[in-house]
Amino acid sequence: MTEERGIDVQGLVREFKGGVRAVDGIDLRVAAGEIYGFLGPNGAGKSTTVKVLTTLLPPTTGRATVAGYDVAKQGAKVRAAIGVALQDVALDPMLTGSEHMRLQGGLQGIPRAERGRRGDELLERVGLSDAADRKASTYSGGMKRRLDLALALLHKPRILFLDEPTTGLDVQSRTALWEEVARLAREEGTTVFLTTQYLEEADVLANRVGIIDRGTIVAEGTPAALKAQVAKPTVELVPRDGGECAAASAALAPFGEAVAPRTAGSIAVRLDSGADQLADIVRALDQANVAVMNLALHEPTLDDVFLAKTGRSLEGAAQEAPPEPAAERERALA
Amino acid sequence: MSALGRTRSVALAVAWRSIHNAFTNPAFLLPSVLFPLFFFIAFAGGLSGVQNAPDFDYKSGYTSFQFAFVCIQAAAFGGVFTGFAIAADFEFGFARRLMLAAPNRGGIIIGYMISAMVRAIFVLGVVFLAGLVAGMRIDGSLGDLAALLVLALCVSAVATLWSAGIAMRLRTMQAGPAMQMPVFILLFLAPVYVPLNLVAGWVHDVARFNPATAFLEAARGFVSGEPTKVGITAICLVAMFALAALWARGGLRSAEQAG
Repeated sequence: MTEERGIDVQGLVREFKGGVRAVDGIDLRVAAGEIYGFLGPNGAGKSTTVKVLTTLLPPTTGRATVAGYDVAKQGAKVRAAIGVALQDVALDPMLTGSEHMRLQGGLQGIPRAERGRRGDELLERVGLSDAADRKASTYSGGMKRRLDLALALLHKPRILFLDEPTTGLDVQSRTALWEEVARLAREEGTTVFLTTQYLEEADVLANRVGIIDRGTIVAEGTPAALKAQVAKPTVELVPRDGGECAAASAALAPFGEAVAPRTAGSIAVRLDSGADQLADIVRALDQANVAVMNLALHEPTLDDVFLAKTGRSLEGAAQEAPPEPAAERERALA
Repeated sequence: MSALGRTRSVALAVAWRSIHNAFTNPAFLLPSVLFPLFFFIAFAGGLSGVQNAPDFDYKSGYTSFQFAFVCIQAAAFGGVFTGFAIAADFEFGFARRLMLAAPNRGGIIIGYMISAMVRAIFVLGVVFLAGLVAGMRIDGSLGDLAALLVLALCVSAVATLWSAGIAMRLRTMQAGPAMQMPVFILLFLAPVYVPLNLVAGWVHDVARFNPATAFLEAARGFVSGEPTKVGITAICLVAMFALAALWARGGLRSAEQAG
Protein backbone atom coordinates (compact mmCIF):
# COMPACT_ATOMS: atom_id res chain seq x y z
CA MET A 1 0.00 0.00 0.00
CA THR A 2 2.83 2.36 0.96
CA GLU A 3 4.64 1.61 -2.27
CA GLU A 4 1.46 2.14 -4.31
CA ARG A 5 1.04 5.63 -2.93
CA GLY A 6 4.58 6.53 -1.98
CA ILE A 7 7.60 8.25 -3.48
CA ASP A 8 11.14 6.98 -3.09
CA VAL A 9 14.10 8.95 -4.41
CA GLN A 10 17.72 7.87 -4.18
CA GLY A 11 20.70 9.91 -5.34
CA LEU A 12 18.67 11.81 -7.91
CA VAL A 13 20.67 14.11 -10.18
CA ARG A 14 19.42 16.28 -13.02
CA GLU A 15 22.05 18.10 -14.95
CA PHE A 16 21.34 20.55 -17.76
CA LYS A 17 23.50 21.55 -20.68
CA GLY A 18 26.52 23.48 -19.55
CA GLY A 19 26.91 21.28 -16.50
CA VAL A 20 24.33 23.11 -14.37
CA ARG A 21 23.13 20.66 -11.70
CA ALA A 22 19.62 21.77 -10.82
CA VAL A 23 19.17 18.67 -8.65
CA ASP A 24 22.35 17.36 -7.10
CA GLY A 25 21.97 13.94 -5.55
CA ILE A 26 18.83 14.15 -3.43
CA ASP A 27 17.32 11.34 -1.37
CA LEU A 28 13.81 11.47 -0.05
CA ARG A 29 10.93 9.22 0.84
CA VAL A 30 7.28 10.21 1.03
CA ALA A 31 4.86 7.86 2.76
CA ALA A 32 1.34 7.02 1.65
CA GLY A 33 -1.23 9.66 2.53
CA GLU A 34 1.43 12.11 3.62
CA ILE A 35 1.60 15.78 2.62
CA TYR A 36 5.25 16.43 1.91
CA GLY A 37 6.27 20.05 1.66
CA PHE A 38 9.27 20.72 -0.55
CA LEU A 39 10.48 24.12 0.50
CA GLY A 40 13.14 26.28 -1.03
CA PRO A 41 13.84 29.57 -2.75
CA ASN A 42 13.46 30.15 -6.49
CA GLY A 43 16.06 28.21 -8.43
CA ALA A 44 16.71 25.76 -5.60
CA GLY A 45 15.70 22.74 -7.71
CA LYS A 46 12.10 22.22 -6.55
CA SER A 47 10.44 22.40 -9.95
CA THR A 48 13.14 20.33 -11.63
CA THR A 49 12.63 17.63 -8.99
CA VAL A 50 8.89 17.67 -9.66
CA LYS A 51 9.48 17.44 -13.41
CA VAL A 52 11.66 14.39 -12.94
CA LEU A 53 9.21 12.72 -10.55
CA THR A 54 6.30 13.38 -12.90
CA THR A 55 8.23 12.03 -15.93
CA LEU A 56 8.44 15.39 -17.69
CA LEU A 57 12.24 15.20 -17.50
CA PRO A 58 14.43 12.11 -17.31
CA PRO A 59 16.91 11.96 -14.45
CA THR A 60 20.59 12.27 -15.32
CA THR A 61 21.53 9.71 -12.67
CA GLY A 62 19.93 8.23 -9.59
CA ARG A 63 16.68 6.40 -9.13
CA ALA A 64 13.17 7.49 -8.32
CA THR A 65 10.02 5.45 -7.93
CA VAL A 66 6.59 6.99 -7.80
CA ALA A 67 3.60 4.82 -6.85
CA GLY A 68 6.00 1.88 -7.03
CA TYR A 69 7.05 2.58 -10.63
CA ASP A 70 10.44 3.70 -11.88
CA VAL A 71 10.11 7.18 -13.39
CA ALA A 72 12.81 6.48 -15.98
CA LYS A 73 11.54 3.09 -17.15
CA GLN A 74 7.83 2.98 -16.38
CA GLY A 75 6.73 6.48 -17.30
CA ALA A 76 3.30 5.47 -18.60
CA LYS A 77 2.43 3.71 -15.32
CA VAL A 78 3.70 6.63 -13.27
CA ARG A 79 1.58 9.08 -15.28
CA ALA A 80 -1.50 6.92 -14.85
CA ALA A 81 -1.05 7.00 -11.07
CA ILE A 82 -0.35 10.69 -10.53
CA GLY A 83 -2.07 14.03 -10.87
CA VAL A 84 0.00 17.12 -11.54
CA ALA A 85 -0.67 20.84 -11.22
CA LEU A 86 2.44 22.71 -12.26
CA GLN A 87 3.47 26.24 -11.44
CA ASP A 88 2.50 27.50 -14.91
CA VAL A 89 -1.02 26.32 -15.58
CA ALA A 90 -1.28 24.68 -18.99
CA LEU A 91 -4.73 25.56 -20.24
CA ASP A 92 -6.07 26.06 -23.75
CA PRO A 93 -7.63 29.53 -23.83
CA MET A 94 -10.09 28.38 -26.49
CA LEU A 95 -11.56 25.57 -24.43
CA THR A 96 -14.14 26.02 -21.68
CA GLY A 97 -13.78 24.51 -18.22
CA SER A 98 -16.07 21.61 -19.17
CA GLU A 99 -14.18 21.03 -22.40
CA HIS A 100 -10.90 20.88 -20.51
CA MET A 101 -12.47 18.21 -18.31
CA ARG A 102 -13.60 16.29 -21.36
CA LEU A 103 -10.13 16.49 -22.92
CA GLN A 104 -8.39 15.45 -19.71
CA GLY A 105 -10.81 12.54 -19.29
CA GLY A 106 -9.94 11.32 -22.75
CA LEU A 107 -6.21 11.67 -22.16
CA GLN A 108 -6.54 9.70 -18.94
CA GLY A 109 -8.70 7.04 -20.54
CA ILE A 110 -11.68 7.62 -18.25
CA PRO A 111 -14.82 5.90 -19.61
CA ARG A 112 -16.96 8.34 -21.57
CA ALA A 113 -20.00 7.92 -19.32
CA GLU A 114 -17.97 8.73 -16.22
CA ARG A 115 -16.16 11.75 -17.69
CA GLY A 116 -19.06 14.17 -17.61
CA ARG A 117 -20.27 13.20 -14.15
CA ARG A 118 -16.81 13.32 -12.61
CA GLY A 119 -15.96 16.55 -14.42
CA ASP A 120 -19.11 18.27 -13.17
CA GLU A 121 -18.45 17.01 -9.67
CA LEU A 122 -14.92 18.40 -9.60
CA LEU A 123 -15.88 21.73 -11.16
CA GLU A 124 -18.48 22.02 -8.42
CA ARG A 125 -15.93 21.15 -5.75
CA VAL A 126 -13.48 23.83 -6.88
CA GLY A 127 -16.26 26.38 -7.26
CA LEU A 128 -16.24 26.65 -11.04
CA SER A 129 -19.68 25.29 -11.88
CA ASP A 130 -20.97 28.70 -12.88
CA ALA A 131 -17.94 29.28 -15.13
CA ALA A 132 -17.89 25.78 -16.60
CA ASP A 133 -19.08 26.95 -20.00
CA ARG A 134 -16.79 29.96 -20.20
CA LYS A 135 -13.55 29.84 -22.14
CA ALA A 136 -10.42 29.58 -20.01
CA SER A 137 -9.17 32.83 -21.54
CA THR A 138 -11.81 34.65 -19.48
CA TYR A 139 -10.75 33.06 -16.17
CA SER A 140 -8.88 34.92 -13.45
CA GLY A 141 -5.56 33.59 -12.18
CA GLY A 142 -7.24 31.94 -9.21
CA MET A 143 -9.89 30.30 -11.40
CA LYS A 144 -7.18 28.92 -13.70
CA ARG A 145 -5.39 27.42 -10.71
CA ARG A 146 -8.58 25.83 -9.46
CA LEU A 147 -9.37 24.41 -12.88
CA ASP A 148 -5.83 23.06 -13.09
CA LEU A 149 -6.29 21.36 -9.72
CA ALA A 150 -9.63 19.88 -10.79
CA LEU A 151 -8.00 18.53 -13.95
CA ALA A 152 -5.22 16.97 -11.91
CA LEU A 153 -7.80 15.17 -9.77
CA LEU A 154 -10.06 13.91 -12.56
CA HIS A 155 -8.73 10.35 -12.67
CA LYS A 156 -8.52 10.03 -8.87
CA PRO A 157 -4.71 9.96 -8.70
CA ARG A 158 -2.99 8.14 -5.86
CA ILE A 159 -0.30 10.81 -5.70
CA LEU A 160 -0.77 14.50 -6.35
CA PHE A 161 2.08 16.82 -7.30
CA LEU A 162 1.46 20.50 -6.71
CA ASP A 163 4.23 22.83 -7.86
CA GLU A 164 3.87 26.16 -6.08
CA PRO A 165 0.08 25.95 -6.34
CA THR A 166 -0.69 29.18 -4.53
CA THR A 167 1.86 31.51 -6.09
CA GLY A 168 0.03 34.64 -7.16
CA LEU A 169 -3.25 33.70 -5.49
CA ASP A 170 -5.22 35.98 -3.20
CA VAL A 171 -5.62 34.98 0.43
CA GLN A 172 -9.14 33.60 -0.05
CA SER A 173 -8.15 31.38 -2.99
CA ARG A 174 -5.03 30.25 -1.16
CA THR A 175 -6.98 29.23 1.91
CA ALA A 176 -9.57 27.37 -0.20
CA LEU A 177 -6.81 25.47 -1.97
CA TRP A 178 -5.13 24.57 1.32
CA GLU A 179 -8.41 23.22 2.64
CA GLU A 180 -8.95 21.11 -0.45
CA VAL A 181 -5.42 19.69 -0.35
CA ALA A 182 -5.77 18.83 3.33
CA ARG A 183 -9.13 17.20 2.65
CA LEU A 184 -7.69 15.09 -0.17
CA ALA A 185 -4.99 13.69 2.08
CA ARG A 186 -7.30 13.25 5.06
CA GLU A 187 -10.40 11.81 3.40
CA GLU A 188 -9.10 10.18 0.23
CA GLY A 189 -5.66 9.11 1.39
CA THR A 190 -4.00 10.95 -1.49
CA THR A 191 -0.27 11.46 -1.09
CA VAL A 192 0.62 15.07 -1.80
CA PHE A 193 4.02 16.34 -2.91
CA LEU A 194 3.84 20.09 -2.57
CA THR A 195 6.56 22.51 -3.54
CA THR A 196 6.41 25.97 -2.14
CA GLN A 197 8.50 28.98 -1.31
CA TYR A 198 5.97 30.09 1.30
CA LEU A 199 6.99 29.14 4.82
CA GLU A 200 3.45 29.42 6.08
CA GLU A 201 2.14 27.06 3.42
CA ALA A 202 4.63 24.35 4.33
CA ASP A 203 4.00 24.93 8.01
CA VAL A 204 0.21 24.77 7.75
CA LEU A 205 -0.14 21.94 5.26
CA ALA A 206 2.81 19.60 5.39
CA ASN A 207 3.22 16.60 7.65
CA ARG A 208 6.88 16.64 6.77
CA VAL A 209 9.08 19.19 5.08
CA GLY A 210 12.18 18.85 2.97
CA ILE A 211 14.22 22.00 2.54
CA ILE A 212 16.17 22.20 -0.71
CA ASP A 213 18.86 24.71 -1.53
CA ARG A 214 21.12 24.74 -4.58
CA GLY A 215 19.99 21.28 -5.61
CA THR A 216 20.55 19.48 -2.33
CA ILE A 217 18.28 18.76 0.60
CA VAL A 218 19.63 20.61 3.61
CA ALA A 219 17.02 19.58 6.17
CA GLU A 220 14.09 17.19 6.41
CA GLY A 221 11.53 16.34 9.09
CA THR A 222 8.26 17.49 10.57
CA PRO A 223 7.99 21.27 10.79
CA ALA A 224 7.98 21.07 14.59
CA ALA A 225 11.03 18.80 14.72
CA LEU A 226 12.95 20.94 12.26
CA LYS A 227 12.24 24.05 14.25
CA ALA A 228 13.11 22.32 17.50
CA GLN A 229 16.43 21.24 16.01
CA VAL A 230 17.65 24.70 15.31
CA ALA A 231 15.85 27.14 17.54
CA LYS A 232 13.85 27.43 20.73
CA PRO A 233 10.78 29.56 21.36
CA THR A 234 11.22 33.12 22.50
CA VAL A 235 9.09 34.85 25.05
CA GLU A 236 8.65 38.59 24.65
CA LEU A 237 6.92 40.92 27.06
CA VAL A 238 6.13 44.60 27.44
CA PRO A 239 5.98 45.81 31.06
CA ARG A 240 3.09 48.12 31.90
CA ASP A 241 5.55 50.49 33.50
CA GLY A 242 8.67 51.20 31.49
CA GLY A 243 10.63 51.51 34.74
CA GLU A 244 10.04 47.83 35.47
CA CYS A 245 12.19 46.62 32.59
CA ALA A 246 15.11 45.77 34.83
CA ALA A 247 12.90 43.82 37.23
CA ALA A 248 11.26 41.99 34.34
CA SER A 249 14.66 41.09 32.89
CA ALA A 250 15.80 39.77 36.23
CA ALA A 251 12.64 37.68 36.59
CA LEU A 252 13.13 36.18 33.13
CA ALA A 253 16.89 35.58 33.44
CA PRO A 254 16.59 32.04 34.91
CA PHE A 255 14.54 30.89 31.93
CA GLY A 256 17.02 31.58 29.16
CA GLU A 257 19.27 33.92 27.27
CA ALA A 258 18.20 37.50 26.57
CA VAL A 259 17.86 38.23 22.88
CA ALA A 260 17.02 41.27 20.78
CA PRO A 261 13.27 41.94 21.00
CA ARG A 262 11.15 42.25 17.85
CA THR A 263 9.51 45.47 19.09
CA ALA A 264 11.07 48.40 20.82
CA GLY A 265 10.43 48.72 24.55
CA SER A 266 9.98 45.03 25.12
CA ILE A 267 12.15 42.33 26.64
CA ALA A 268 12.83 39.03 24.91
CA VAL A 269 14.33 35.81 26.21
CA ARG A 270 15.05 32.62 24.22
CA LEU A 271 13.79 29.86 26.47
CA ASP A 272 16.21 27.12 27.48
CA SER A 273 13.44 24.56 27.47
CA GLY A 274 10.22 24.71 25.53
CA ALA A 275 6.96 26.58 25.66
CA ASP A 276 5.93 24.59 28.74
CA GLN A 277 7.95 27.09 30.80
CA LEU A 278 5.35 29.76 30.15
CA ALA A 279 3.35 29.13 33.34
CA ASP A 280 6.53 29.37 35.44
CA ILE A 281 7.41 32.64 33.71
CA VAL A 282 4.04 34.14 34.55
CA ARG A 283 4.45 33.05 38.16
CA ALA A 284 7.99 34.55 38.31
CA LEU A 285 6.75 37.86 36.96
CA ASP A 286 3.94 37.87 39.48
CA GLN A 287 6.36 37.20 42.33
CA ALA A 288 8.58 40.05 41.09
CA ASN A 289 5.50 42.34 41.04
CA VAL A 290 5.98 43.16 37.37
CA ALA A 291 2.74 44.22 35.70
CA VAL A 292 2.68 43.06 32.12
CA MET A 293 0.89 44.89 29.32
CA ASN A 294 1.62 42.28 26.68
CA LEU A 295 3.25 38.86 26.67
CA ALA A 296 3.85 36.77 23.58
CA LEU A 297 5.44 33.44 22.80
CA HIS A 298 7.20 33.29 19.42
CA GLU A 299 7.75 29.83 18.00
CA PRO A 300 10.74 29.49 15.69
CA THR A 301 9.86 29.57 11.98
CA LEU A 302 11.03 27.47 9.06
CA ASP A 303 12.96 30.52 7.96
CA ASP A 304 15.01 30.11 11.15
CA VAL A 305 15.64 26.52 10.06
CA PHE A 306 16.69 27.63 6.58
CA LEU A 307 18.92 30.30 8.09
CA ALA A 308 20.57 27.81 10.41
CA LYS A 309 21.18 25.26 7.65
CA THR A 310 22.31 27.57 4.86
CA GLY A 311 23.44 30.74 6.57
CA ARG A 312 20.90 32.74 4.56
CA SER A 313 17.27 33.61 5.03
CA LEU A 314 14.79 32.07 2.65
CA GLU A 315 13.69 35.46 1.42
CA GLY A 316 17.24 36.59 0.74
CA ALA A 317 18.07 33.34 -1.02
CA ALA A 318 15.06 33.75 -3.29
CA GLN A 319 16.38 37.09 -4.46
CA GLU A 320 19.90 35.89 -5.21
CA ALA A 321 19.03 32.54 -6.79
CA PRO A 322 19.29 32.20 -10.58
CA PRO A 323 16.25 30.89 -12.47
CA GLU A 324 16.13 27.17 -13.13
CA PRO A 325 17.50 26.47 -16.64
CA ALA A 326 14.45 24.64 -17.93
CA ALA A 327 12.10 27.23 -16.54
CA GLU A 328 13.70 30.08 -18.42
CA ARG A 329 12.03 29.32 -21.72
CA GLU A 330 8.72 28.18 -20.31
CA ARG A 331 5.70 30.35 -20.61
CA ALA A 332 2.13 29.63 -19.71
CA LEU A 333 -0.45 29.56 -22.42
CA ALA A 334 -3.36 30.76 -20.45
CA MET B 1 -7.38 -0.51 -19.97
CA SER B 2 -4.91 -2.09 -22.41
CA ALA B 3 -1.96 -0.15 -23.83
CA LEU B 4 -3.73 -0.07 -27.19
CA GLY B 5 -6.91 1.22 -25.58
CA ARG B 6 -4.97 3.96 -23.78
CA THR B 7 -3.25 4.99 -27.02
CA ARG B 8 -6.60 5.13 -28.77
CA SER B 9 -8.13 7.20 -25.98
CA VAL B 10 -5.23 9.68 -26.00
CA ALA B 11 -5.31 9.93 -29.81
CA LEU B 12 -9.05 10.60 -29.88
CA ALA B 13 -8.79 13.22 -27.14
CA VAL B 14 -5.96 15.08 -28.91
CA ALA B 15 -7.79 14.84 -32.24
CA TRP B 16 -11.02 16.08 -30.68
CA ARG B 17 -9.33 19.18 -29.29
CA SER B 18 -7.57 20.05 -32.56
CA ILE B 19 -10.71 19.53 -34.62
CA HIS B 20 -12.82 21.43 -32.09
CA ASN B 21 -10.44 24.39 -32.13
CA ALA B 22 -10.20 24.35 -35.92
CA PHE B 23 -13.94 24.32 -36.51
CA THR B 24 -14.85 26.80 -33.78
CA ASN B 25 -12.18 29.33 -34.81
CA PRO B 26 -12.47 30.34 -38.46
CA ALA B 27 -9.06 32.01 -38.23
CA PHE B 28 -7.55 28.55 -37.84
CA LEU B 29 -9.46 26.84 -40.62
CA LEU B 30 -9.68 29.57 -43.24
CA PRO B 31 -6.02 29.59 -44.33
CA SER B 32 -6.05 25.85 -44.97
CA VAL B 33 -9.19 26.28 -47.12
CA LEU B 34 -8.29 29.52 -48.88
CA PHE B 35 -4.75 28.50 -49.76
CA PRO B 36 -5.69 25.52 -52.00
CA LEU B 37 -8.77 27.32 -53.32
CA PHE B 38 -6.59 30.21 -54.44
CA PHE B 39 -4.17 27.80 -56.15
CA PHE B 40 -7.05 25.97 -57.80
CA ILE B 41 -8.73 29.09 -59.12
CA ALA B 42 -5.49 30.76 -60.18
CA PHE B 43 -3.95 27.76 -61.92
CA ALA B 44 -7.07 26.18 -63.38
CA GLY B 45 -8.28 29.56 -64.64
CA GLY B 46 -5.08 31.36 -65.55
CA LEU B 47 -3.30 28.44 -67.14
CA SER B 48 -6.25 26.75 -68.84
CA GLY B 49 -4.66 27.44 -72.22
CA VAL B 50 -2.07 24.77 -71.39
CA GLN B 51 -4.60 22.12 -72.38
CA ASN B 52 -4.26 23.31 -75.98
CA ALA B 53 -0.57 22.42 -76.04
CA PRO B 54 0.13 19.69 -78.63
CA ASP B 55 1.36 17.08 -76.16
CA PHE B 56 -1.14 17.77 -73.39
CA ASP B 57 -2.97 14.45 -73.37
CA TYR B 58 -5.01 14.55 -70.15
CA LYS B 59 -8.49 13.66 -71.23
CA SER B 60 -10.53 15.23 -68.39
CA GLY B 61 -9.32 18.77 -69.08
CA TYR B 62 -7.08 21.26 -67.32
CA THR B 63 -9.42 22.03 -64.41
CA SER B 64 -9.45 18.34 -63.44
CA PHE B 65 -5.69 18.19 -64.03
CA GLN B 66 -5.21 20.99 -61.49
CA PHE B 67 -7.84 19.59 -59.11
CA ALA B 68 -5.71 16.49 -58.61
CA PHE B 69 -2.69 18.65 -57.77
CA VAL B 70 -4.68 20.84 -55.39
CA CYS B 71 -5.95 17.73 -53.57
CA ILE B 72 -2.41 16.55 -52.93
CA GLN B 73 -1.19 20.04 -52.12
CA ALA B 74 -4.06 20.74 -49.69
CA ALA B 75 -3.49 17.43 -47.95
CA ALA B 76 0.25 18.04 -47.63
CA PHE B 77 -0.08 21.60 -46.39
CA GLY B 78 -2.87 20.58 -44.01
CA GLY B 79 -0.27 18.34 -42.38
CA VAL B 80 2.21 21.21 -42.26
CA PHE B 81 -0.38 23.51 -40.65
CA THR B 82 -0.95 20.81 -38.04
CA GLY B 83 2.80 20.94 -37.40
CA PHE B 84 2.45 24.67 -36.75
CA ALA B 85 -0.24 23.89 -34.16
CA ILE B 86 2.00 21.32 -32.47
CA ALA B 87 4.84 23.85 -32.31
CA ALA B 88 2.45 26.41 -30.81
CA ASP B 89 1.34 23.91 -28.17
CA PHE B 90 4.96 23.42 -27.15
CA GLU B 91 5.85 27.08 -27.28
CA PHE B 92 2.89 28.16 -25.16
CA GLY B 93 3.09 25.29 -22.70
CA PHE B 94 -0.08 23.36 -23.47
CA ALA B 95 1.91 20.38 -24.71
CA ARG B 96 3.00 19.86 -21.11
CA ARG B 97 -0.57 18.94 -20.21
CA LEU B 98 -0.62 16.38 -22.99
CA MET B 99 2.78 14.99 -22.01
CA LEU B 100 1.77 14.73 -18.35
CA ALA B 101 -1.72 13.38 -18.78
CA ALA B 102 -1.16 10.91 -21.57
CA PRO B 103 0.11 7.58 -20.26
CA ASN B 104 1.04 6.64 -23.82
CA ARG B 105 2.57 9.64 -25.55
CA GLY B 106 2.62 8.01 -28.97
CA GLY B 107 -1.13 8.62 -28.96
CA ILE B 108 -0.47 12.37 -29.02
CA ILE B 109 1.13 12.15 -32.48
CA ILE B 110 -1.61 9.85 -33.74
CA GLY B 111 -4.20 12.33 -32.45
CA TYR B 112 -2.65 15.22 -34.31
CA MET B 113 -2.49 13.03 -37.43
CA ILE B 114 -6.19 12.16 -37.18
CA SER B 115 -7.10 15.83 -36.81
CA ALA B 116 -5.04 16.71 -39.90
CA MET B 117 -6.85 14.03 -41.87
CA VAL B 118 -10.30 15.21 -40.75
CA ARG B 119 -9.40 18.76 -41.73
CA ALA B 120 -8.09 17.49 -45.07
CA ILE B 121 -11.43 15.79 -45.76
CA PHE B 122 -13.22 19.08 -45.11
CA VAL B 123 -10.85 21.11 -47.30
CA LEU B 124 -10.97 18.55 -50.12
CA GLY B 125 -14.77 18.65 -49.95
CA VAL B 126 -14.75 22.43 -50.36
CA VAL B 127 -12.26 22.26 -53.26
CA PHE B 128 -14.28 19.47 -54.90
CA LEU B 129 -17.45 21.55 -54.72
CA ALA B 130 -15.59 24.58 -56.10
CA GLY B 131 -14.32 22.41 -58.95
CA LEU B 132 -17.80 21.14 -59.77
CA VAL B 133 -19.10 24.71 -59.81
CA ALA B 134 -16.25 25.62 -62.16
CA GLY B 135 -17.30 22.83 -64.53
CA MET B 136 -14.65 20.28 -63.59
CA ARG B 137 -15.01 16.90 -65.31
CA ILE B 138 -14.76 13.77 -63.21
CA ASP B 139 -14.34 10.70 -65.38
CA GLY B 140 -13.33 8.40 -62.55
CA SER B 141 -15.77 6.14 -60.74
CA LEU B 142 -16.78 6.48 -57.11
CA GLY B 143 -14.11 3.87 -56.38
CA ASP B 144 -11.51 6.03 -58.14
CA LEU B 145 -12.58 9.06 -56.12
CA ALA B 146 -12.38 7.01 -52.91
CA ALA B 147 -8.86 5.97 -53.92
CA LEU B 148 -8.00 9.64 -54.55
CA LEU B 149 -9.25 10.47 -51.05
CA VAL B 150 -7.18 7.66 -49.51
CA LEU B 151 -4.12 8.89 -51.41
CA ALA B 152 -4.67 12.46 -50.16
CA LEU B 153 -5.15 11.27 -46.58
CA CYS B 154 -1.94 9.26 -46.73
CA VAL B 155 -0.09 12.34 -47.99
CA SER B 156 -1.65 14.32 -45.16
CA ALA B 157 -0.49 11.73 -42.62
CA VAL B 158 3.08 11.72 -43.95
CA ALA B 159 3.23 15.53 -43.96
CA THR B 160 1.85 15.65 -40.41
CA LEU B 161 4.44 13.15 -39.16
CA TRP B 162 7.21 15.09 -40.89
CA SER B 163 6.06 18.40 -39.40
CA ALA B 164 5.47 16.85 -35.97
CA GLY B 165 9.06 15.64 -35.97
CA ILE B 166 10.31 19.18 -36.61
CA ALA B 167 7.84 20.81 -34.21
CA MET B 168 8.74 18.48 -31.35
CA ARG B 169 12.46 18.89 -31.90
CA LEU B 170 12.45 22.68 -32.09
CA ARG B 171 9.31 23.38 -29.97
CA THR B 172 8.86 26.88 -31.34
CA MET B 173 6.63 28.39 -33.99
CA GLN B 174 9.76 29.75 -35.62
CA ALA B 175 10.19 26.19 -36.91
CA GLY B 176 7.40 26.87 -39.44
CA PRO B 177 9.66 27.41 -42.48
CA ALA B 178 11.62 24.25 -41.67
CA MET B 179 8.37 22.28 -41.87
CA GLN B 180 6.99 24.08 -44.90
CA MET B 181 9.95 24.48 -47.25
CA PRO B 182 10.82 20.82 -47.90
CA VAL B 183 7.15 20.03 -48.61
CA PHE B 184 6.89 23.04 -50.87
CA ILE B 185 10.03 22.09 -52.79
CA LEU B 186 9.00 18.45 -53.11
CA LEU B 187 5.58 19.42 -54.49
CA PHE B 188 6.78 22.08 -56.89
CA LEU B 189 9.59 19.97 -58.30
CA ALA B 190 6.87 17.69 -59.65
CA PRO B 191 4.78 18.20 -62.81
CA VAL B 192 2.40 20.71 -61.26
CA TYR B 193 1.30 22.77 -64.27
CA VAL B 194 1.87 20.38 -67.16
CA PRO B 195 2.32 16.62 -67.55
CA LEU B 196 5.82 15.23 -66.99
CA ASN B 197 6.45 14.84 -70.72
CA LEU B 198 6.11 18.62 -71.13
CA VAL B 199 8.49 19.49 -68.31
CA ALA B 200 11.96 20.31 -69.61
CA GLY B 201 15.54 20.65 -68.35
CA TRP B 202 16.79 19.77 -64.88
CA VAL B 203 13.32 20.03 -63.40
CA HIS B 204 12.30 17.11 -65.62
CA ASP B 205 15.24 15.07 -64.36
CA VAL B 206 14.39 15.80 -60.73
CA ALA B 207 10.67 15.28 -61.29
CA ARG B 208 11.26 11.81 -62.74
CA PHE B 209 12.60 10.62 -59.39
CA ASN B 210 10.43 12.78 -57.16
CA PRO B 211 7.84 10.66 -55.31
CA ALA B 212 5.42 13.61 -55.54
CA THR B 213 5.35 13.01 -59.31
CA ALA B 214 3.99 9.53 -58.70
CA PHE B 215 1.40 10.92 -56.29
CA LEU B 216 0.26 13.56 -58.79
CA GLU B 217 0.07 11.12 -61.69
CA ALA B 218 -1.82 8.60 -59.57
CA ALA B 219 -4.24 11.33 -58.41
CA ARG B 220 -4.80 12.50 -61.98
CA GLY B 221 -5.32 8.90 -63.04
CA PHE B 222 -8.07 8.49 -60.43
CA VAL B 223 -9.79 11.70 -61.56
CA SER B 224 -9.71 10.67 -65.21
CA GLY B 225 -10.76 7.09 -64.47
CA GLU B 226 -7.47 5.71 -65.78
CA PRO B 227 -5.52 4.73 -62.64
CA THR B 228 -1.78 4.90 -63.21
CA LYS B 229 1.36 4.42 -61.13
CA VAL B 230 -0.76 3.10 -58.23
CA GLY B 231 1.79 0.46 -57.25
CA ILE B 232 4.80 2.78 -57.11
CA THR B 233 2.69 5.38 -55.30
CA ALA B 234 1.70 2.84 -52.66
CA ILE B 235 5.31 1.73 -52.18
CA CYS B 236 6.54 5.33 -51.90
CA LEU B 237 3.79 6.18 -49.41
CA VAL B 238 4.47 3.17 -47.21
CA ALA B 239 8.20 3.93 -47.20
CA MET B 240 7.68 7.64 -46.55
CA PHE B 241 5.12 6.91 -43.84
CA ALA B 242 7.54 4.56 -42.09
CA LEU B 243 10.39 7.08 -42.28
CA ALA B 244 8.18 9.97 -41.19
CA ALA B 245 6.79 7.91 -38.29
CA LEU B 246 10.34 7.21 -37.10
CA TRP B 247 11.17 10.88 -37.52
CA ALA B 248 8.13 11.91 -35.48
CA ARG B 249 8.92 9.33 -32.81
CA GLY B 250 12.42 10.78 -32.59
CA GLY B 251 10.90 14.23 -32.22
CA LEU B 252 8.74 13.00 -29.36
CA ARG B 253 11.81 11.53 -27.65
CA SER B 254 13.61 14.85 -28.11
CA ALA B 255 10.68 16.68 -26.49
CA GLU B 256 10.67 14.14 -23.65
CA GLN B 257 14.38 14.74 -23.04
CA ALA B 258 13.91 18.50 -23.02
CA GLY B 259 10.98 18.42 -20.58
